[in-house]
Amino acid sequence: MMSHSHITRTCSLWCADWPVIALRRRDGALRGVPVVVRERVGSREVVRAASAEARAEGVTRGMRRREAEARCPGVAVVDADLALEARAFEVVARAVETVTPRVVLERPGVCAFPTRGPSRYFGGDHGLARHVRDTVADVLGNDDDADSVRVAIADGAFAARLAARQASAREPLVVASGGGASFLASFPVRALGDDALADLLARLGLRTLGDFAALSTDAVLARFGAEGRRLHDLARGLDDAPPVLVEPPADLVEMVELDPPAARVDTAAFAAKGLADRLLARLAERGLACTRVVIEAETEHGERLSRCWRHDGALTPAALAERVRWQLDGWLHAHASVGIDDGRTDVRERQDAAAFADAGLDTTTGALTSLRLVPDEVVPADGRQLGFWGGDQLGAERADRALARVQGMVGYEGVVTAVVQGGRAPAEQVRWVPWGEPREPLQPLVVDGEVPSWPGAVPPPSPSRVFEPPLPAQFLDAGGNPVVVSGRGEQSAPPASLRCDALPARGGPVVAWAGPWAHDLRWWDPSTRRRRALWQVVVANGHDNPHGAAHVACLVSVEGGAAGVEALYD
Amino acid sequence: MAVVATPGGRRTGALPRRDADARAQLAEVAGRARPAVAAGDRLIPVPGPLGDALANGGLRRGAVYTVDGARGAGATSVVLSFAAAVTNAGEWAAIVDPYGTVGGRAAAEAGVVLERFAVVRHAPAPRWSTIVAALLDGFAFVAADVPRHCRLGDARRLAAKARERSAAFVAIGPWPAEAAARVHACASRWSGLGVGEGLLSARDVHVEVEGRGAPIRTRLAG
Repeated sequence: MMSHSHITRTCSLWCADWPVIALRRRDGALRGVPVVVRERVGSREVVRAASAEARAEGVTRGMRRREAEARCPGVAVVDADLALEARAFEVVARAVETVTPRVVLERPGVCAFPTRGPSRYFGGDHGLARHVRDTVADVLGNDDDADSVRVAIADGAFAARLAARQASAREPLVVASGGGASFLASFPVRALGDDALADLLARLGLRTLGDFAALSTDAVLARFGAEGRRLHDLARGLDDAPPVLVEPPADLVEMVELDPPAARVDTAAFAAKGLADRLLARLAERGLACTRVVIEAETEHGERLSRCWRHDGALTPAALAERVRWQLDGWLHAHASVGIDDGRTDVRERQDAAAFADAGLDTTTGALTSLRLVPDEVVPADGRQLGFWGGDQLGAERADRALARVQGMVGYEGVVTAVVQGGRAPAEQVRWVPWGEPREPLQPLVVDGEVPSWPGAVPPPSPSRVFEPPLPAQFLDAGGNPVVVSGRGEQSAPPASLRCDALPARGGPVVAWAGPWAHDLRWWDPSTRRRRALWQVVVANGHDNPHGAAHVACLVSVEGGAAGVEALYD
Repeated sequence: MAVVATPGGRRTGALPRRDADARAQLAEVAGRARPAVAAGDRLIPVPGPLGDALANGGLRRGAVYTVDGARGAGATSVVLSFAAAVTNAGEWAAIVDPYGTVGGRAAAEAGVVLERFAVVRHAPAPRWSTIVAALLDGFAFVAADVPRHCRLGDARRLAAKARERSAAFVAIGPWPAEAAARVHACASRWSGLGVGEGLLSARDVHVEVEGRGAPIRTRLAG
């Protein structure tokens, strides 16, 4: 089991409405007017971020673009530009880097770092938080932009992230060490970032993280699995770090030399894409996934650049490639303006560079000559591998959803899985359990360590088609009389032919047989007593068959004088 | 596996050379013991002669296969072998069985992992294609008895759905649309059972696979 001996005290920095700020920093005309940044989700255009002016008119995140325009006429609607957001955030990242080298970017607008060293240097958490806020505000320059900066310090990245949302622009929020759980208790469960689980918890009457945290760990693990357990830990204010940290294998660093040096983002990003794919493929081979990666680059002037990106859950190749691209964009655009102007850099790039120069930050001074991806934090990739119950967790969830839908269409009992149990006839040897119920046999194969015997059970191989009730048939001896069984379990005469409408050519002569297995079921109870005899029978099926003599094997039963095909070996 | 003892105590002249037989056995065991198919793999390998008869030795995700044959010829066993291959690869399989006749014990004996093998035992004909489509959403492998009057449009829609969701779909019975391969169970021959003696023990299934190119004839021991 994991231990929670230490929870990294973390400082989180969040720039509210970063997409708007990034756009305004590029285009001054957007300042002072209501702005909405739109993005496409499926076929809908929704609001990704809105400026304070637009929010005052009732525009909210996730609202449809059309509705936003209706609520706030004259709003400037701008397309989201993730690359721009990331590039602009590089200024902030570098400013934070003056405080600590261990900055981890989560997404444009949010970054975090462990406070242990810096906090002591700046005279405590409050001092550090204020210093970070002031540094970043200085770099951003503009008052409006500076007002968006929120800084908070708490135990663990998750608590710090939520605390940053509550911090005010002027005063950073510091959650006392050890007070994480009580701080988190009042947040809604939706803050966990898992909407499906949040919906479920709300329906169970658990509306806040405090309610969720109050559940016992064992109960959460049993009901919601490993992922639920992780979120439960978060709600209890325990560390956000992946549960099982594995030391990244040293030889998993992926590296590429860029020759000629890449001065343009697309050239470098193309190389990075292959690098990202290779890294994740090699990790996957070892059953690992990556949650934090360090992107390193070297310029033609020998500078070394490096930046750490963190991701909730395992990085996919696409997500990793995107982050590398953002980072390269940040580095190279800083260079493009300050370094050589080869005529290809556009106005936008120069403005970005001007922002760096204004901020008094170092900028990259050359094209990139090499690129390295270092997995910084790897976890066992349980998402893809067989889980404890032998099932891929993701596959189980998908299947569960599909079966729930089908159960809605055909009824609860209509969707089943088989459980093998003890019994004599094939129909009795299996219990069909409705999906969602515990898979337990009614007549276990093993009782208290002993295997109960089922006298007269039909031995394997088992028939692949079982008919309940048996298909009506005629089971005749050589004289054309029905085969019957005496009270002592002996047949009246050897079977010679089997006629059944369901068989090919409506049956035929019996070429081989064994039996009868006489079953006297529930003989102690006259009202439910059944007597039945079973034969294994092979019927020749010579008709319409180019492969010579063919066989149909079936299980024939005689009960109360009536014969039937109990099962077919299809 | 046979253990070969070398006479002469400590003499370590040479390890016994693995003969072809041992190699084949080893390959078979290795094939069975393979833990999982990576989710990215397009192919779900089917072991044994049945797999050899299929193009590339397995079921392709997103493709439609048909399996048919007279009753008792072995079509159900073929479907169960597919389901066994899929569930042993860690994937989920479902079968639509409107008359509720598939034998659970036979499935277990074929090697199907029953926990991951869902059976839909009631499927009203008008909702058949909706049910199959819903299953294709969540399962890597879906097999279904095709109702007698399955329309071409429905069949094509299901094929498109299977392709979109990367699920292998096996239609049992007459399938009006195109298929990557058509498996015909032609005939079975049983052995072990005599006249009034013995038990059914083994059988050969003659299977013809008709796909792109000429049909391949194969015999399965079952």
